[in-house]
Amino acid sequence: MLTMAEAVREAMSIAFDERPEVFLLGEDVGIYGGAFGVSGDMYHRYGAERVLDTPIAELGIVGAAVGAALSGMRPIVEIQFSDFTAQAMDQIANQAAKIHFMLGGALHVPMVLRTPQGSGTGAAAQHSQNLEPWFASVPGLKVVVPSNPADAKGLLLSAIDDPNPVIFLEHKLLYKIPGRDPVPEGATRIPLGVSKVVREGKDLTIVATGIMVNKSWEVAEKLAAEGISITLIDPRTISPLDMGPVFESVEKTGRLMVVQEGPAQAGFINEVIAQMAGSSSFGSLIAPIKRLAGMNIPIPYAPQLEKAAVPQIDDIEAAAREIVKNWR
Amino acid sequence: MSFKYPVVMPKMSMTMETGELINFHVAVGDHVKSGDVLFEVMTDKIDMEVEAPADGVIEALVANPGDVVEIGKPVLIMLTETEVMAFDFGTDGEPVAAVEVVTAPAPVVAAAPVVVAPIILNETVKAVPKARVEAANRGIDLRTVRATGPDRTITMEDVNGAQLDPAIAKRQAANKALIAKGIEITRSIAQASFTRSVNANFDHATFIAAWAKVLRNRPDLAAHEHVGVALIIESKYGSALPVFRDPDQVKIADLTALVASTTDAAKNGKVPVAMLSGATTTVFDLTTYSMSSATPLLFPNQVTSVTIGYESATTKIVSLTIDLNFCDFYDGALLLDALVASL
Repeated sequence: MLTMAEAVREAMSIAFDERPEVFLLGEDVGIYGGAFGVSGDMYHRYGAERVLDTPIAELGIVGAAVGAALSGMRPIVEIQFSDFTAQAMDQIANQAAKIHFMLGGALHVPMVLRTPQGSGTGAAAQHSQNLEPWFASVPGLKVVVPSNPADAKGLLLSAIDDPNPVIFLEHKLLYKIPGRDPVPEGATRIPLGVSKVVREGKDLTIVATGIMVNKSWEVAEKLAAEGISITLIDPRTISPLDMGPVFESVEKTGRLMVVQEGPAQAGFINEVIAQMAGSSSFGSLIAPIKRLAGMNIPIPYAPQLEKAAVPQIDDIEAAAREIVKNWR
Repeated sequence: MSFKYPVVMPKMSMTMETGELINFHVAVGDHVKSGDVLFEVMTDKIDMEVEAPADGVIEALVANPGDVVEIGKPVLIMLTETEVMAFDFGTDGEPVAAVEVVTAPAPVVAAAPVVVAPIILNETVKAVPKARVEAANRGIDLRTVRATGPDRTITMEDVNGAQLDPAIAKRQAANKALIAKGIEITRSIAQASFTRSVNANFDHATFIAAWAKVLRNRPDLAAHEHVGVALIIESKYGSALPVFRDPDQVKIADLTALVASTTDAAKNGKVPVAMLSGATTTVFDLTTYSMSSATPLLFPNQVTSVTIGYESATTKIVSLTIDLNFCDFYDGALLLDALVASL
């Protein structure tokens, strides 16, 4: 069973083998093998021409990748921590996302920006953020949030194929964990913009992103033993967002709970709530929509506080129990 | 018998939307006379004392001094023996019809047990979305459903457990299949209309009494223990719907007088509060407009409505609209036949 780090490396390697114009650049992605070991031995397998160690200069890294993409290459950028994309935001939001439209569609920016996100590593407020809504609110970017190795591989292959800039947000805590499902061999793609129904139940629909899919799955498994059955939906691509399966499921369960790691205020998951509230499926709701999200605070350094700042399995379990019990 | 009467934040200027309650001049339990000052209100333009609309006792102070209260929302509740105008027809450009006392009409039925007219404050019902859909489909008034959910919200369980009149439930079950067979449902109400020409002249009192008599044989369609016929009366203030309770059990001369006096009062924007509720059917006379027929939307909790239309100097057209959730085409035809035959 591959871990997510291995699955991402495998997808990059397949793309390297398929297309000579694919290359990887970033801080320590070469000789060191990546801050989280994702690129691993790729430097030794593909050489310094295709696995480029760069200076500590995120704006320059993304700028170089945008330029390369405009001139026919397919760069994969790794930014060591997603927090550091703030340094590169002009290239991401104003250049990569917009150039195609500013030039009347004459050019494309087929770039993938991979970056680890999230809390749980004791790295404090500047290395622990979940910035999904930053990217999801920029039209022109596609945003992928894989929750397991198999999805990560198939989605990354599609992201590299895509002519648009794609932000690929990998959760640090998932890197070392094998998935529940084995990673398919070969170069099978998973299309962007298709939500996945992870499991089906009749009492509650949970929509969760990234690591929260795994936590919600644990809860669904536990509550199934008590007769509460849960549908779990992983959007996988948060922009564009595929709400179809969510509407379909809520029409059956009548209850919706959404879970994300990032702060509640202006979080991505609020989009799911808004679309549900404005849809014709609204009339199927038999309970108020429940939101679980991070607190509106910088991630604390103290481990207990860090844990308390984002939804944990116990929180999800309690909320799921309550919504099913109180609203019948 | 006494009524609960909410004294609301009055509209004192064209632009006024809210007023600030300065202080009360009364306390709970105080006896007040019509014209006594109840409380003072401040707006951006004017400070004003609000007076008691009738004699009575202060039952509850709803707002607190310093509160900003929307116009039309209650400030205090009083109990009064006097029948008081319970609604305000005031529209822009028209002088605002102040709440005022009207002479109570002679009681219609002495023997019948007195039903206390429910006063509807701006009551809001909290219900989950699907409960609203379900209630609309089944013709359940959510105000009658007990809420057991968090924050007194009506849940699906509450709606599913709501008790319906067994006769209605039986009808509904029988007709559900019919509706499912392809009658188009508009706004969740499947309705049908029937029309007959009538070679007769009749006044409103005769018509109302005849219609009540027909409906009395079908308590399953009235959904109440009485028959209440609402007569739509148009005035420059808008539509008024005074309700005549059990008009078939009153001497026709008394009913004729009551219809006449109520019609006059309604045209002046005044309807006694006791006549504002309890409708189980509605009658709309279109002859004033030389129209022959119309298909009115059924009022909530009503299964039938009737229009009287103009055809010629000697003939009229009577149209009946029914809710197919509660009765079927055969019922409708029988009802209209019986009504026309009795005119």
